[in-house]
Amino acid sequence: MKTLTVNGAQRSVDAEDDTPLLWVLREDLALPGTKFGCGIGMCGACTVHIDGEAVRSCQMPVSSLESGQAITTIEALAGSASVGEGELHPLQQAWIDEQVPQCGYCQTGMIMAAAALLKENPEPDEAAIREGITNLCRCGTYPRIVRAIQSAGRVIRERGAAHARGSA
Amino acid sequence: MAREQGVLNLSRRGVVGGLSLGAGLFVLGMPMVQAAEPAAGHPESARFGAMLSIDAASRVRLIVPSTEMGQGTQEALARFVAEELDCDWAALEVELPWADQSFANPLARKQITANSMTVMGYYTSLRKLGAASRAMLVAAAAARLGVPAESLTVHGGVIRDPASDRTLSFGDVAQAASSLPVPQALTLKPASAFTIIGGKSPRKDLRPKVMGQAEFGIDVHEEGMLIGVPVLAPHPKASFEAKGLEAAKARPGIHAIVPVSGGLVVIADRYWRAKSAADTITLTVTASPLDKLDDKGIHDRLAAAFDEVAPKPFPQFDMNAFPPRIVPEVSGAFEAAFEEAARVIEAEYQVPHLAHATLEPICCSARFDEQGLLVRGPLQDPDNSHRTAAKLSGLPMDKVRVEITYAGGGFGRKWGVDFVSVAIEAARGVPGRMVKTIWPREQDLAGDQYRPAYMARSRAAIGKDGSLTAIHSRIAGESIMAYHGRPPMGGMEGLADATAAGQLIYGDYADPVKRIEYHEVDLQVPVGFWRSVSMSQNAFFAESFIDEIARETGQSPLALRLALLKGHPRITPVLRKAAEMIALDAPRAKGIGRGIAFSYSGANFCAIGVEVEVKDSSLSLKRIACACDCGLMIDPVSVEGQLTGGIIFGLQASLWGEVHFEDGRPTAQNFSDYRLPMMQDVPPIEVVLMPGSEEPGNIGEASTPVIAPALVNAIADAGGPRIRTLPIARTLTI
Repeated sequence: MKTLTVNGAQRSVDAEDDTPLLWVLREDLALPGTKFGCGIGMCGACTVHIDGEAVRSCQMPVSSLESGQAITTIEALAGSASVGEGELHPLQQAWIDEQVPQCGYCQTGMIMAAAALLKENPEPDEAAIREGITNLCRCGTYPRIVRAIQSAGRVIRERGAAHARGSA
Repeated sequence: MAREQGVLNLSRRGVVGGLSLGAGLFVLGMPMVQAAEPAAGHPESARFGAMLSIDAASRVRLIVPSTEMGQGTQEALARFVAEELDCDWAALEVELPWADQSFANPLARKQITANSMTVMGYYTSLRKLGAASRAMLVAAAAARLGVPAESLTVHGGVIRDPASDRTLSFGDVAQAASSLPVPQALTLKPASAFTIIGGKSPRKDLRPKVMGQAEFGIDVHEEGMLIGVPVLAPHPKASFEAKGLEAAKARPGIHAIVPVSGGLVVIADRYWRAKSAADTITLTVTASPLDKLDDKGIHDRLAAAFDEVAPKPFPQFDMNAFPPRIVPEVSGAFEAAFEEAARVIEAEYQVPHLAHATLEPICCSARFDEQGLLVRGPLQDPDNSHRTAAKLSGLPMDKVRVEITYAGGGFGRKWGVDFVSVAIEAARGVPGRMVKTIWPREQDLAGDQYRPAYMARSRAAIGKDGSLTAIHSRIAGESIMAYHGRPPMGGMEGLADATAAGQLIYGDYADPVKRIEYHEVDLQVPVGFWRSVSMSQNAFFAESFIDEIARETGQSPLALRLALLKGHPRITPVLRKAAEMIALDAPRAKGIGRGIAFSYSGANFCAIGVEVEVKDSSLSLKRIACACDCGLMIDPVSVEGQLTGGIIFGLQASLWGEVHFEDGRPTAQNFSDYRLPMMQDVPPIEVVLMPGSEEPGNIGEASTPVIAPALVNAIADAGGPRIRTLPIARTLTI
């Protein structure tokens, strides 16, 4: 039995030590938004955040995780951005506005990778995005992903500025 | 014109038997006697045929009959209905379909999402569904208000009597309307009146997809469900010996190890337990249709077929006839052209087997219980899946229900039903429990139904005046239709399978005498439809060769194409546009090259220009420009997305795509050795949508086959080698 902190809640998990976090999320914790693509850490469809950093969850055996680590999945991304109930994270909204998804299978992992990128670099230029996002999209939505990340970055920066003015 | 263009597409895939069937024969879904059950959870809704229902709150629910795999047809088909229904677009909800004859595509005459036939097939019939339902709602409102139906207006799901300013919502009259007679004489809106078709609002499936809430095949879930992981031999008809079964069975969580066609499925309560146990099992192949097949064997058999296998002709079709008819060769013209040629240009080209590599690995769920068999998955061919499930299970069709989820990419792979069979055979081993079979990526790549490898040999006769008088192209390789035990595409015995030979020489290059021949090779490699099917190899063969002819005869590649096209009203503009966008003839620095190519299929005309730099055997992509005319656009944002994404899909095949064979099995393991482009591998892509008022065409497969010939033509233009064998990475460093 192992305790993990997933999307802000303590969850008990009973799985063999080498079970990747990906499958614990999908099958034990009923969080299917994190996807399986390759199982070798290449495609990024399984990207989640651990303490705010993007990781390939198919490469994280449960034994390597500690209960104090905060695991965030796509299901709670909006909540992590302190937006209202039922609202979308600015990246999710930008993904809709730019009409990024085709089949959509890779996009939850893509959005999680983008959220971590924007945290590191709130105003990435195209080169930084192309270098920073290594997730694979078979439908070829890359050009719109670049636009969506940049537009979400603008929204987040504006909100941050408004918040700073409000609290000043 | 539009009718003829639709025919063109069919003949490419050769569904000639279906040509006499016009689209739009059915109203409210056919037949009116509904095999379809009411949508679960909405029994109170009034039903308008098999696909449409409206509840008291005016919510419109549409079961979209096609499979949504990213190509956007769910949205397109919903727009067809909404446009004529005049409902509130925001109040229309789309639902995923199940296998049901009422959902058949009128053009394909069955429920299948393949061959780029969805938009063309449902364009008229679903608008009629909307229009007929609207007329019934208006008639019910007219009776309620005691006014003539003609006096009422409809907008956003509200019916208004302008004289009295009284209104009724769709929900107010839906129940009464649904029992009225279905009007047969319907006037559809002219395209100029469309407000939903052609709009740019985001697709309805985007929100669930960015939230992680869309149900893909891999997300199918129910209480008590088990997970199956297959361990398959390299061919479904291979025999094998399995080792390690007892030890695997004793591992934690394992419920059963079930034999299936060509292998086993390890069934456990969790994926990781099933996968870990599966990894301990070894299959030793004792006999396989692939025997010891390897890359060299494939090459040698294709090469030998040109001499050893009698060719089947692929005739020229007259596309202006309906249905198209075969144009007999002018007797002696072909032979005369080569006899009188001042010069003959020859070239040999090759393409390898390609995997689909959908990002959602192959998966399908099935459950046997006292009611029958339930199958759920990301299926492109519900019709064949349904029939296959009934046959395998021995159950009558009405005891088998096949439900379609979102597909995490399809590209033709999920047209196959091999994985449906595996899922059903696995579930049969644990009756009463749903088994979700998930293929690990290694199994997905090693157990694909690949785009066949082909070799082409082409020769061109050049007359004394330097003009191109004849082209003779031959292609050798496996037939997709033969592998699947079906007659050749085209349905005409003795003629070449269109999935191999279709458009090996472009029919719209008017002047030269053309002869296409197919040398069929029974390799027994599992093969299937791969995005753009025959064009995926033949656009490369045809548009490389025409480029070589131009350069060899001292003509500009663009000028020769334009001359041969003789002012084709739809190809000429897109070709000129792509050439202009890439600045085809502008001065260039040393090492820079520009190339162009086009393809056409159905009501779709797509040209691509590419700029590259070649330096010391290394290639860098500078930019890509694409111009496309697909007729009236239902969803222009999706059209642009399909073209851009289709280019990136084709780029993968052009640069790196190649499944190797060794000792009778494909060696591809994972994305580590089946490389997909990342964001940083993709150059800037510019797409221009050419205005078209023709009836809507097809878009999902338009750009994919064009990038390879445009690229190799650009490499030759840059002073690099003429690449006749894909992928390019065999020749140049990328």
